[in-house]
Amino acid sequence: MGAGVLGLLIARAASAHGIGGKDAAFVAATKGADILPFVYLGAKHMVTGYDHLLFLLGVIFFLYRLKHVALYVTMFSLGHSITLLTGVLTNIHVNPYAVDAVIGLSVAWKAFDNLGGFKSVFGLTLDNRLVVLAFGLVHGFGLATKLQELKLSPNGLIANMVGFNVGVEIGQLLALSAAILLITTWRRLPSFGRTAAAANVVILFAGFLLMDYQLAGLISGKH
Amino acid sequence: MADIEGQTPNPPSKSRLLVWTGIAFMAAAAITVCFVMPAEYHIDPLGVGKLTGLDRLAGTKEVAVKTPAAGAAVTPARLYDTPWRTDTFIIELPGDGREGGELEYKVRMKPGATLIYSWSETGAPPEEFYTDFHGQTLPAKPGGEVQVATYRQATGDKASGSLIAPIDGIHGWYLQNQAVKAATVTLKLAGFYALVPAGEEGNQAGIKPKP
Repeated sequence: MGAGVLGLLIARAASAHGIGGKDAAFVAATKGADILPFVYLGAKHMVTGYDHLLFLLGVIFFLYRLKHVALYVTMFSLGHSITLLTGVLTNIHVNPYAVDAVIGLSVAWKAFDNLGGFKSVFGLTLDNRLVVLAFGLVHGFGLATKLQELKLSPNGLIANMVGFNVGVEIGQLLALSAAILLITTWRRLPSFGRTAAAANVVILFAGFLLMDYQLAGLISGKH
Repeated sequence: MADIEGQTPNPPSKSRLLVWTGIAFMAAAAITVCFVMPAEYHIDPLGVGKLTGLDRLAGTKEVAVKTPAAGAAVTPARLYDTPWRTDTFIIELPGDGREGGELEYKVRMKPGATLIYSWSETGAPPEEFYTDFHGQTLPAKPGGEVQVATYRQATGDKASGSLIAPIDGIHGWYLQNQAVKAATVTLKLAGFYALVPAGEEGNQAGIKPKP
């Protein structure tokens, strides 16, 4: 057994890309505002969160102007900040597996869109700003469920939450800088046209896999 | 370059895209059903988990046992063959998330056997000391299914009571010190139970009674 009951608190927080181990112990032990460590945890969560990173990569894949990158990333940040803060503060509990499955779907969605799928298959032209905002809201719920798994002390909650959110933005900027560098270098290669489509098929597959992985957790009935 | 921002410069044809999407979708589903579900959640519809041994990664399968509600009819007087015993244990749990800050201590009991217990803890604030009082059967083979009966999950620095074991197996506490400071638990037991040797399931931490 052991692992089973332990799973209630520790393993569960560590699985499904949560906050685990000594970080979880630190958060549980924190009383009062302790902003910088929470900034760090937020940034770490984003930089090590392949689901968030894949989505961002999909979003900026075919954005050629920095101001467009800034616009979409702002929509995404706005979305996840709203749900991260309200989710934790109003104590709304959403099943983490369901949220993470939708995050996986968002990755697949964006890759399908990058491949021109919504236009060619469904004849739709979507307003991507709204789509990115909507998925930003979902990603924020994902972040909120990870924080809620750790028993946050009400003491200094708002300061710590805002610190975590600021950390998420910093982590996002770091990851984004690396992604922009990669993509702009890639674009100069003559093979970009072919490899870009192939890369989005890979992202599509990864999104489906992330989604199915979480759906399996959802049907397993483990909280 | 691209005429439409936000899409690949040479999008695949509709039929080609559908084939690719279908393959990506099916491949993800196949990987999930064949490997992820057995390895993570003990669900093995195709038997691939058993075939590859991946199902062992999911750990022990637990089946919850319903315990009768308090006040249910019980036999008030009982006779036991097991010898009566009483023990006191001092258990140290380091704080600050350090190694050993959480452990399980259980004793062996036959179904219907009675245990009287009283424990208290000093060092950690009551709201930062978590206990899960539960019992379980032992798996027939390593990694096999076990039945689990949950008695009480709570934070607090003391509890006293009794238990009539609903199942044959090991019964006791998962203790977790969530505080920064170290905690010391004094656990007193009396009744019809047997100690689990150090290192075996239920006493991996090697807790010994006070001489």
